[in-house]
Amino acid sequence: MLPAPVNDQKITMSFADNIKSEFELADNHSDGLSEIRRDAFATFQKLGIPSNRHEEWRYTNIKTQLPEALSIAARKKWTPSKDEFNAFEGIKASKLVFLNGIFNAPLSSIIEEAGVTAGSLKEHLSHNKAITEKYFGKLVNKYEDHFSMLNTAFVTDGAFVHVKKGIAAQYPIFIINLYNSPEHFIQSRNLIIIEESSKLDVIVDFQNLGASTYYNHVSECFISKNADLNVTKLQTATQNTTAVHTLEADVERDAKFTCNTISLEAKLIRNTTNVRLSGENSQAHLNGLYYGNGKSLIDNHILIDHIVANCESNQLYKGILAEEATGVFNGKIFVKKDAQKTNAFQSSKAILLSDEASINSKPQLEIFADDVKCSHGAAIGQLSQDEVFYLRARGIHEKDAKSILTYAFASQIINTITIEELKVYLDNKLKERLHLDF
Amino acid sequence: MLSIKNLNVAINGKQILKDFNLEIKTGEVHAIMGPNGTGKSTLASTLAGKEAYEVLSGEVKFKGKDLLEMGPDERAREGVFLAFQYPVEIPGVSVTNFMKAALNAKRRHFGLDPMDAKDFLKLMKQKMELVEIKKEMMSRSLNEGFSGGEKKRNEIFQMAMLEPSLCILDETDSGLDIDALRIVASGINKLRSADRSFLVITHYQRLLNYIVPDVVHVMFGGKIVKSGGKELALELEEKGYDWIKDEVTAEA
Repeated sequence: MLPAPVNDQKITMSFADNIKSEFELADNHSDGLSEIRRDAFATFQKLGIPSNRHEEWRYTNIKTQLPEALSIAARKKWTPSKDEFNAFEGIKASKLVFLNGIFNAPLSSIIEEAGVTAGSLKEHLSHNKAITEKYFGKLVNKYEDHFSMLNTAFVTDGAFVHVKKGIAAQYPIFIINLYNSPEHFIQSRNLIIIEESSKLDVIVDFQNLGASTYYNHVSECFISKNADLNVTKLQTATQNTTAVHTLEADVERDAKFTCNTISLEAKLIRNTTNVRLSGENSQAHLNGLYYGNGKSLIDNHILIDHIVANCESNQLYKGILAEEATGVFNGKIFVKKDAQKTNAFQSSKAILLSDEASINSKPQLEIFADDVKCSHGAAIGQLSQDEVFYLRARGIHEKDAKSILTYAFASQIINTITIEELKVYLDNKLKERLHLDF
Repeated sequence: MLSIKNLNVAINGKQILKDFNLEIKTGEVHAIMGPNGTGKSTLASTLAGKEAYEVLSGEVKFKGKDLLEMGPDERAREGVFLAFQYPVEIPGVSVTNFMKAALNAKRRHFGLDPMDAKDFLKLMKQKMELVEIKKEMMSRSLNEGFSGGEKKRNEIFQMAMLEPSLCILDETDSGLDIDALRIVASGINKLRSADRSFLVITHYQRLLNYIVPDVVHVMFGGKIVKSGGKELALELEEKGYDWIKDEVTAEA
């Protein structure tokens, strides 16, 4: 059971009133989501914005990082030019570009593929009530969460991705979210549905093009029977960013879900990833790499819910914390009563490069079946003295030796990325962050 | 090239080297032999700059400069190379990237630009041939999954790439079969020159059949107790270390 949400009365009156009046003003959409929004808002009002008295936010005091004056519904109109952001020219994919959460057709470029649909969620919702009835908002209701409720109440657009039964998409869908929003708490969203026996790669990228930016992002992923979804989340251009990312996935029988989260820049980023293994013989593989320096805080919260038998899950997270950065890792594995023959593994490793860096690591296993294999390991440490000495004994300066070893530690995660050009991009980004030039 | 005067070194509070003295001229090959626990590895580690070893007193001059004042990386850039007895495995760091970083660190130290990528690869291939290493090894992680012989050959390959002035071989022959020994020794011999000195630390005389030394020293109780020509090594082989122990205790 997830801990009961703490009703935090300490939201100041002005912030609560602010959001309430914004909601009332905004509540006139014609996309058929009014009821879903009203319910979500009601739940949000009950839950509020969490303070660090809430167990799930104990080390991540988001409350103090969201300025009271932040508005939610209003949006600055802005259009960057093509050279102001990274369009990842070297990666051939269908590119969907979002400006502060709103789809921008001119900057996007979609490759037509039979059976693959990618575009604006707003547009698709207005033509297709079936999506709403069957999918939109259905996963965020499983684990009621402050921020996914807020997002559901206010979101107006996002990415809609759908792959038909039996289709193996040839090209990845690349969702590029550009933000420039120092005064608004932008709500952005993805809805990804892949039907039976289909296959898709999705890359979701987030870029802060302003001085500072605040956003709340939710992805709902529906992976049908025997399908295969691989999602890579990039937080490599998110300097000065305060953001909450919630990803909810439901994996049906015989299906596979892989999620790679690479966070190399942040002011405060919280990644919540909840995976329901709801069909037998399904699998989830979650890989994560995070690098924090300065006063960055990167928080990865994972939940893998083994609901039925014969499922497999793996969590492999590696963190590097330098200067005064903080890392938070909470990996939950729930194994329900009927989930016999579960194989669930978790490994969380972190390197602290300075005395002021810190990490809070908490594995959480709740096992109610009796024939399972579960293991977890957490290792927090410094670089190996012997390895540093060996490099120095060959003439490499101590600082460079540590950078090389840190790179080696991190590259295990980058090597799990299957799209070659993306792997090269991340490899170079990592070297840049570590000041390595080989 | 190397001048060690009255060096006293301890580790974990226990003194290992006791008034150790040694002079190596440029171009000379010196061998140090001795039974286990007598300080041979301590000598090698101290010269390389391993922090766990505490220098209690004494002086070490390398090419006229104070070696003890330098950190391990500075010593390496100045031209000291220690071929480790147990080279550590470093997963995730390829042989190529490692070698490039080391070579360019040395070049920068002498005011040179980093080596051009094409020239670097050519140099790598050339030096790998010296110790019969296949080019597939370039992209493998440093020492990871290497056999004992492969690790030792890799040490000599690195030595060839960095062109040091003083090469310290810490029991390079231990654990090697006759074929691996032949290849390693051949690589070392190809690096012998009038500008380069070698300090070969070994427990067995066998290596010295391949790498013929100019001077042989015997170490016992933390210091050199006997020095001679290459015949001394053969005499040790015949009579064993007990002969030395008896001589030393007789003199005491």
